[in-house]
Amino acid sequence: MNNTLLSLTIAILFGIGTFLILRRDIVKVIIGLSIISHAVNMLIVSSGVFAGTKPPIITDDGGHGASETTGTIFTDVLSENILAPITTAGHSVNYVDPLVQALVLTAIVISLATTAFILILAYRIYEEYGTTDIKELRRLWG
Amino acid sequence: MDSFTAITLAVFLPFILAGILPVVEKVLKNRIGWYAAAVALLSLILVAQVAPTVIHGENIQGSIPWIPSVGIDLSFYGDGLSIMFGLIVSGIGVIIMAYSNGYMSKREDLPRYYQQLLFFMGSMLGMVFSANLIQLFIFWELTSITSFMLIGYWRNRPMSVYGATKSLLVTATGGLFMLAGFLLLNAMTGTFDIPTILHSESMIEFIKDHELFIFALILILIGAASKSAQGPFYIWLPNAMEAPTPVSAFLHSATMVKAGIYLVARIHPMFSGTDAWFILVSGVGIITMLVAGFLAFRQTDIKGILAYSTISQLAYLMTMYGYTTHIHPGIGVAAATFHLLNHATFKASLFLVAGIVAHETATRDITKMGGLRKEMPITFILATIGALAMAGIPPLNGFLSKELFYEASWEMGAELGGAFTFVIPALAVLGGVFTFAYSIKLIDGIFLGKRPSRGLPEHIHDPGWTMILPTAFLALLIILFGLVPSIPAHYIIEPATEAILLEPVDLHVSLWHGLTPSLAMTIVTFILGLLIYTRYDSIAAWQNRFNSKHPMISVNYFYDAAVNNAKSTTFGFSSRMQPGTIKTYVTALLLLMIVLFIIPIIVLTPDIIPSTLNFDIQAYEGIVYLFMIVAALGAALLPRYLPAIVSLSGLGYLVGLLFIYLQAPDLALTQVLVETLTTIIFLLAIVKIPQKFREHITPSVMTRDLLIASAVALTVFIMMINATQGIVPPFESLSHYFIEKSIPLAGGHNMVNVVLVDFRAYDTLGEIAVLCLAALGVYNLIHSRGEEE
Repeated sequence: MNNTLLSLTIAILFGIGTFLILRRDIVKVIIGLSIISHAVNMLIVSSGVFAGTKPPIITDDGGHGASETTGTIFTDVLSENILAPITTAGHSVNYVDPLVQALVLTAIVISLATTAFILILAYRIYEEYGTTDIKELRRLWG
Repeated sequence: MDSFTAITLAVFLPFILAGILPVVEKVLKNRIGWYAAAVALLSLILVAQVAPTVIHGENIQGSIPWIPSVGIDLSFYGDGLSIMFGLIVSGIGVIIMAYSNGYMSKREDLPRYYQQLLFFMGSMLGMVFSANLIQLFIFWELTSITSFMLIGYWRNRPMSVYGATKSLLVTATGGLFMLAGFLLLNAMTGTFDIPTILHSESMIEFIKDHELFIFALILILIGAASKSAQGPFYIWLPNAMEAPTPVSAFLHSATMVKAGIYLVARIHPMFSGTDAWFILVSGVGIITMLVAGFLAFRQTDIKGILAYSTISQLAYLMTMYGYTTHIHPGIGVAAATFHLLNHATFKASLFLVAGIVAHETATRDITKMGGLRKEMPITFILATIGALAMAGIPPLNGFLSKELFYEASWEMGAELGGAFTFVIPALAVLGGVFTFAYSIKLIDGIFLGKRPSRGLPEHIHDPGWTMILPTAFLALLIILFGLVPSIPAHYIIEPATEAILLEPVDLHVSLWHGLTPSLAMTIVTFILGLLIYTRYDSIAAWQNRFNSKHPMISVNYFYDAAVNNAKSTTFGFSSRMQPGTIKTYVTALLLLMIVLFIIPIIVLTPDIIPSTLNFDIQAYEGIVYLFMIVAALGAALLPRYLPAIVSLSGLGYLVGLLFIYLQAPDLALTQVLVETLTTIIFLLAIVKIPQKFREHITPSVMTRDLLIASAVALTVFIMMINATQGIVPPFESLSHYFIEKSIPLAGGHNMVNVVLVDFRAYDTLGEIAVLCLAALGVYNLIHSRGEEE
């Protein structure tokens, strides 16, 4: 998805997330991490999408129908000399890239796990030290 | 069972049976030591069972492929030398484990203790039977590690930790030098296989003429010296005495410290017969023998005396292995090998006696003891046998090997000629004199004289049979080897000597062989020894004075300085590198990211802002984008947690919406579900964290953070708009594969699903593992709170 406005949106989310990560309040840092992980996921998924492509679910017409090959996903022209490592190249399909979606799906689930973990960590830190201020914690740890 | 299988089992059974030891402990409880002794006995039987084959001159060899691509197999080789060590290791192992039943208190962590002892025994057996240099190195380091754990058995004693650390630093570092030496050996010969080198005369000739010869020799000898506490590396052994006494008897007198001697004997055919060999091995040996023997005087800890004595006695062995360059090799090697066996018996028995004495009197300080012969008659007799054997009194076994040592030294002196004719025998005698003196001190200081009025428990008595019998068995061996030396000589020493020299040896050892120079040297030793003994305490006092006046004349001084400096240096370095504030790390990381992204973009693209920007969007897209930014700003700026999290959650659902638009239905589904769950967890956690702290952001901090954030945002933006602008990837995407093979190979229409559960199922497995770990982590965090309350 080579859309400049989408890129701009993702970049702004990155910026906001970065600003939050630099805060002193642990909860704010966690929120910042969440925003950044959203931004990264969108960045990766959008890189697999080109104009005029279909979701990565194979239908009976297979996406190989000549009428639908309006766009190619991959810039395969480079394969004049370099052979594809796994499969023969150069044939046009109009699905979005399934691999990036699979990767991001894994990433979403893992970010759930890590978010849950650091949240509980933050909660326990608050219980032990009575504060969520990183600077204060640093002082308490010595 | 063939011999190779027997040896493989003897090596690996201790590991396996130690593994199930905690389970056995549930049944046997305090008697777990007998289980360990039984395991050691099993190894002893397995080794003893193959001994006849080897004695008849047939070496055992076999291998199981391990890393065939680099020529490393799991291979074992049994010749006379390996068998002798195998018998010593497993035999003393049985004695030590049996003895430990009496020594170790029931309150100790017995499973850990016996497990580590068995691990050590297995490693040691593996080392002596290794046919492969790399395998030998691995087992070698395993013995260092188990030694480390056993020395540090009493983890909360600072001296134990100090001793354990020291031994690990010295021996493991030495081991690395040895590995480098092995690699040089491999560079010369092209093989790691020990028997291949030993049995190829052309290869051995080639090694001795090679320019790398001297480097390989020095590197391997550093390994041997560090393990056997020779030269400046001796410093770790006295501190290793912090281990439980059975461990000292087993590892630090009878077996592990002899690994270096084993190595020297093992590489003897490859390197001996050269001047470098003589100078390095015998030279270091003689110096260590004298210095350590002399330093034993000022020790007041019984085990300290024994430790210095061990260093000195091991140096005897080194010296004799080095002699072979100049004299007929048979005498020196046979003498060393015989003394090695004898030392294992009498030193182990002395350590066991030291253990008994410490166990009964609750001290190891020899100055606080005296006159215990009446209260502990059996222990007194056993101690006397051990100490007299060490002193070299006939008819005990120490006398025989000491005589051989003198004989070898005499011939060595005669061979070198000139001043050496008398210097070398004189140095040998001096070593013997020191040994004699501290041996007598052990008996006299503990058992003879008057019982001190204070400092000792009222009732002291001989220990139970679990401690007496193992010690008595060793004493019996001492006498037996002394009276009938032909038995060990024929069945153990000759095969071992033949394995070292690679030629037939005919050894005759007897108590009386006429009026020889060596007999004269022995007599001189006894006389001088008695004379020196009368001045024992004043020599010790002089040593103490000297030491306090010149603290820098000590290897330990430099060790401590180096280690302490290393500690403070690394501490300073790490505290500078890791100040502990997240902000610093994050900033460093982000700045690095910016640099790493910007460089390729500048190098690869003609314009940083490409000309073909696409602002063409539908109205609903624009609305989604706008709301996303608003939601993110809300999460960032809303001061209270709860509204911020609601706003964050809104952002998550918008991302799900965007995924639909980005042709990713599966992602949208997952995102909505996960976002729901995340929001619930967020809310659950956040209601428990009252919002007390509110950061006051000063203008300067604000400016700085906004700059960093903008730089990051700008980098991401530039990267994204350049991503499809003619930066050609160096390889083709492999997504074709999934599109083409999804139906034929996996039979699935939904490619994302197929990728997840089929083509890249291991990723998914890893993901599930992460979820499990996080769940366990959360559970434990919550759980640990319950325990404290």
